[in-house]
Amino acid sequence: MADPYQILGVSRAATDDEIRKAYRALAKKNHPDLHPGDKAAETRFKAIASAYAIVGDSTRRALFDAGKIDDSGTERQDHPERRSYRQHAEANSGFKYERQGSGAGQDEDDLFAELFRRHARTDVRGEDVNSAFAVEFTDAINGAKQRVIMSDGRTLDITIPAGVMEGQILRLRGQGNPGRGNGEPGDVLVQILVKPHPLFRREGDNIHSTLSVTLGEAMAGAKVAVATVSGSVNLTVPKGSNTGTKLRLRGKGAPTKGGSGDHIVELRVMLPDQPDDALVQAVVDWEAKHPYDPRKEPGAPS
Amino acid sequence: MITARELVDAIEELEAAALHRWIELGWVIPVHENEELQFDPSDVARVHLICELHYDLCIEEDSMSVVLSLMDQLYATRRTLAALVSAVAEQPEDVQARITDLINRNGP
Repeated sequence: MADPYQILGVSRAATDDEIRKAYRALAKKNHPDLHPGDKAAETRFKAIASAYAIVGDSTRRALFDAGKIDDSGTERQDHPERRSYRQHAEANSGFKYERQGSGAGQDEDDLFAELFRRHARTDVRGEDVNSAFAVEFTDAINGAKQRVIMSDGRTLDITIPAGVMEGQILRLRGQGNPGRGNGEPGDVLVQILVKPHPLFRREGDNIHSTLSVTLGEAMAGAKVAVATVSGSVNLTVPKGSNTGTKLRLRGKGAPTKGGSGDHIVELRVMLPDQPDDALVQAVVDWEAKHPYDPRKEPGAPS
Repeated sequence: MITARELVDAIEELEAAALHRWIELGWVIPVHENEELQFDPSDVARVHLICELHYDLCIEEDSMSVVLSLMDQLYATRRTLAALVSAVAEQPEDVQARITDLINRNGP
């Protein structure tokens, strides 16, 4: 340890009163309870207190000046094991001296009020946990069981109800964060996202898809296999159908409370990839005898 | 827990009258138990602190109230901040990083 006079910033010839004044000034600047969290101040304060323990006491000062005690081993011994007040104050026991109005979260407009308002109540329901899950299109229509991995690493088995809509939120009661005290645990809220499907599109409770048919199937009528969310069904394409003709498969849509929506198939007439001369000639000949204007719809340019 | 008498005996410069005055002023809040005042370790440390501030640093009664009030507010704030810091420390790393970024951006 350095020389106690140096620590206090006084000369060896300083009077007791000068030493006391120097000590007070330094102690005020460095007292750990007036500078919580400042380790350097705490260290300085200890040195200052030790120095003052020697030269602030006339008997000890005389012994020190005479070289009879050294500057080590002379640390203040009155309460060596005493925890500083700061250690108590920063632990929970300090709560007792948190006066009205000085405590965090007591006043409505306190800086921390919003964050800590819940502390006032002992039983607090746990927080809800938000999550999202992308389901296959057909699983959203038909329902499915899925294993979801939560952000905290837990896995949850969830039941995707048949007919679930994009954006719908499933609430898993009691699976959220634990409550405080006797508070109930929160819920897990899973928002359902539905992946797009290459064939099907959902509008409300109805499913829409497009079905390609040949020229012959459209003109003469046919029975054609068509994919629905509940498997393949045979669809009767009526004679004289055209591109844009919509056919309704009743009850083949998304399930609803009362039953099911419909599957609406829109036909698209496809010409053969490489029509031969005979077909072309036949059509041209037919059109010459039976002219028709496919563009005479209302609003179409004439 | 120790009694008022034990506390006065333990601290050289402390007198019973001063201790009772401090209790009256609300600087120290012992518990009443079996018709005696009982001081828990935090009360004892607080009395030591008040002794240091009063006898060593010559902080008198009026200023002491201000000093203690400010100190209590500071400690309350530090406890709140400590709770906040440990809550942040329990968050996933990316959340912690975002919070740190925001603090740095807004300035402490």
